[in-house]
Amino acid sequence: MIEVAQPRSAAPRARVGAMPIAFLRRLDWILLAATLALAGYGLWAIAGITRYDVPGDEHYYVVRQAIALAVGLVGFAVATIVPLDLARRYWKLVYLATLGLMTLVIVAAEAIRGSRRWLDLGVIQFQPSELGKVLFVLAIAGFLVQRAGRTVQWRTLAAALGLGAAPVLLVFLQPDLGTALVYAAALAAVLFFVGARWRQLLALVALAVFIALSVLWLLPSVGIEVLEPYQVARLTLDPNADPSGVTYNLNQSITAVGSGGLTGRGVSGATQTNLDYLPEHATDFVFASLAEQRGFVGCSILLLLYLLLVWRGLRVITVSRDLYGAVVAGGLVFAFLFQVFVNVGMTMGIAPVTGIPLPFVTVGGSAIVANLVLVGVLQGIHARGHAGASAP
Amino acid sequence: MREPHRLTPQLALRVGVLGVVALVAFGILFARLWSLQVLSGDEYLNAAQNNQLRLVRLEAPRGPILDRNGRVLVSNVAGTAVKLWVGDMPEKGRNALVRRLATVLGLSPRRLARAVDEQLSDPLTPITVKTSVGEAQVKYLYEHRAEFPGVEIVQTYLRHYPYKALAAQLLGYVGEISAEELERLRKDGYRAGDTIGKTGIEAAYDAYLRGVPGLAQITVDSLGRPQSSLELRQEARAGNALRLTIDVRIQRAAEEALRYGIELAHANDHWAANGGAIVALDPRDGAVLALASSPSYRPSVFVGRLDRRKLAPLLDEEAARRANYPGLNRAIAGLYPPGSTWKPVTALAGMQEHVFSAYDPLPCTPVAYYGLDRQKFRNWNPYVNRPMTLPEALAESCDTYFYEIGNRFYLQGSEGRVRMQQWARRFGFGSPTGIDIAGEEPGLVPTPEWRRKTFTSDWDRAWNPGDSIQLSIGQKDLLVTPLQMAAFYAMLANGGNIVTPYLASAVEQPGSRGSPRLVLKRFAPKPPRPAGVDPAALAAVRDGLWRATHSINGTASGVFGSYEIPISGKTGTAEKVVPLPGYPAGHLEDQSWWCGWGPSEAARLVVCALIENGGHGSAAAAPAALRVFERFFNRKAPAPVLTESD
Repeated sequence: MIEVAQPRSAAPRARVGAMPIAFLRRLDWILLAATLALAGYGLWAIAGITRYDVPGDEHYYVVRQAIALAVGLVGFAVATIVPLDLARRYWKLVYLATLGLMTLVIVAAEAIRGSRRWLDLGVIQFQPSELGKVLFVLAIAGFLVQRAGRTVQWRTLAAALGLGAAPVLLVFLQPDLGTALVYAAALAAVLFFVGARWRQLLALVALAVFIALSVLWLLPSVGIEVLEPYQVARLTLDPNADPSGVTYNLNQSITAVGSGGLTGRGVSGATQTNLDYLPEHATDFVFASLAEQRGFVGCSILLLLYLLLVWRGLRVITVSRDLYGAVVAGGLVFAFLFQVFVNVGMTMGIAPVTGIPLPFVTVGGSAIVANLVLVGVLQGIHARGHAGASAP
Repeated sequence: MREPHRLTPQLALRVGVLGVVALVAFGILFARLWSLQVLSGDEYLNAAQNNQLRLVRLEAPRGPILDRNGRVLVSNVAGTAVKLWVGDMPEKGRNALVRRLATVLGLSPRRLARAVDEQLSDPLTPITVKTSVGEAQVKYLYEHRAEFPGVEIVQTYLRHYPYKALAAQLLGYVGEISAEELERLRKDGYRAGDTIGKTGIEAAYDAYLRGVPGLAQITVDSLGRPQSSLELRQEARAGNALRLTIDVRIQRAAEEALRYGIELAHANDHWAANGGAIVALDPRDGAVLALASSPSYRPSVFVGRLDRRKLAPLLDEEAARRANYPGLNRAIAGLYPPGSTWKPVTALAGMQEHVFSAYDPLPCTPVAYYGLDRQKFRNWNPYVNRPMTLPEALAESCDTYFYEIGNRFYLQGSEGRVRMQQWARRFGFGSPTGIDIAGEEPGLVPTPEWRRKTFTSDWDRAWNPGDSIQLSIGQKDLLVTPLQMAAFYAMLANGGNIVTPYLASAVEQPGSRGSPRLVLKRFAPKPPRPAGVDPAALAAVRDGLWRATHSINGTASGVFGSYEIPISGKTGTAEKVVPLPGYPAGHLEDQSWWCGWGPSEAARLVVCALIENGGHGSAAAAPAALRVFERFFNRKAPAPVLTESD
């Protein structure tokens, strides 16, 4: 196996300052290409999907999305350059920042469609839970790596669950069930990669099943409703149960996906999108719109780009200079994979309906910035790892 | 805690696990995507296309109704209607929308709200909020279209009646299909919101008149807002024209004659005269030339904006009673005792059953006594006291002559007591004539069995001499419609054949101007059936009915005696207890009848006239009937000499 040979010196940092060219050469260019391709493809998809959404301004959303993309690239660069060690060392600060952001949302945000997810910063609205995903992984990984080393005690596991539960609950209370699930998934991935034993992982799975059962059946049966009825319906209902109610979106979504066929109906022919049969077609159900307009071919391109990104992300785990980088990369990659699967699966009726954005495509600045930061962190790990150094 | 990091086998394994998970996840996504888009893509494409297409039914213009000479009795005019798609109304603010719409259209907001609530279970069928919407309202709704989601403005066709109230009950009216009608007729292609004939000709021949609705499709968004213009998929086929046997001239003459008869009755102190009916038909095949009923109404009250006050006499029982039932078609559904116009039935039955012989005189006395209790029966004319043959008795309408026949039937025992009724049934009484519009009343021919079944007390259940005797002069329980009488007199007029009255003669293609009309279907009249009466007996009756209008003592000689066209017929003065203001138990009023035909030989027209509470037949109904003959033969008659005879 490849050994991490560098001593804990300022060498990488010095290289950044002294030899930016060398640092650039240490980036994962395939990952970068995949990221930029995804961002561009998403922008192109959004251009078609939102063309008729704002009467008189075909480019309303595209322009905003492009600006967010530019901001996101800055975030990407920053996340790449800033040493990850800072996060590892000050994971408590990162954790507190995450909690603070979530609390701020609950306290200060205005409710939009019944949920408090956005912070109004005057010109723009900011959805902290998106960036929170990255911070959450950094913080929990920091805790576990510091505490556990290579073996995870049951005690440590419980502590990690406790630490992780707080942000998850805060997100859940916004309420944003989907993002809370992403956090939980990231938490699980971090535990997985930090080296929790299989027995412990099995216990985690059991716990998850128990929580799910409690929330959906046990607690309601004794009169405690944890989820709103619409949430339960979205999680469990089949698409044919109630065509105009909770599952209306899902039915229209499946119809939109199916109607795309092999090559899609084109931008102007996509009636499900253009005539608003598909609600939220620029956000949660954006994949269905893409499927309607661009068909199987267009969707395959997107999914393959995701797969490419995930593959490169997995590779980053293996080249990480230290355990912390590997764990962070693992958590982020799995969170990313989870989002893609749940969102795309939801539009096709094989995953529960939750408000999870589709990375790089869904309209929304916070999400695009957060996803670019996520890739930036991966790039940073890669650049400081030992794959780029000696290019074996 | 710093330590050199190496990729442990454990970590490598876990990366591998996640890699497999990722591959499986993407595999699932691809499989699902392939299944939806490539395997069932066409199906979903279809669903998506149907999603945005709404089919709109295009009303077909209803066919016109023509008289026998092609004059248009009912036609169409274009109008604008407002429809409301309940499913497209926003849930929030629905009530406010209903209120605003009601205000714009001048409707009751509460009633509209109720209609909307009722339609919520079937949101894909529009409510017709109002037909015949004014131009200003249409313009307002168009301009504020965005504020009225679910409101649709459509072209529609409204019934137009060039002759106003003429033949109102006969023609009937149209309206929006009711829930019960829809349930019954859905299999025939009727849909909610369709216009359907409700009564009369409009109802009976709706299948021909309504045409075939067209279909258009319109692209709508998910809120039902139109995104394209209407695209025709199937053009509406206009309804066909229906030609009636009615002659506008005769119909109008009959309605005027009714008014005239009522005026005559009023002039004769029969102040309660307030309605009537005249039937004019061709005795050779039963073609109805006029079917008049008074009082009447304008069918246009059912068109466009409905005015409750104007409609009340037609729909509300209490208001109808006060207006003397203008919606009732008295010619087919008015029930009256026939009085002396019945005597030919008694005569024919009596001769057929050999109860008496036409030319063996029977006494005509001022009074006669029958039954064990020697009950007294009077003749209407107390000054006559001589033997008469049947023709004389018919001409002078001698009651006692017919009492004797009735009594002889009674004396024949239980079998004899139903023989006259059997003949009456054979002549068409006691059952509908079979005319081709709905609503006909069967009337009542009383029999001993009917009495037993109908009444409870022994007194009422018994069939007494008086029952047979009164029946012989068309009184007591007997009830007939003017149409039944006309059909019976048609049999007398045509030499013994029973005809089935009918109104529709043909279905025609509504020819455009100048092009020859195309007859699509001709309604053949039912062939006349021989009634089975002895020609000699019939001749004696016909002789009597000619004398009734021409001999010196004929009851209607003063009316028809000096008319150049020979008319035969019979007067009737039937006593009927009618509800009158001031008489809680009702009051016995004379129903004025005259039925007959002309020319006496080779008859071409049967007229049967009835003036409710009009007094003697010779004083009101007979002169009214003469008016119809005058118009039919285009020959004026000298002014009638009005007498008060039965």
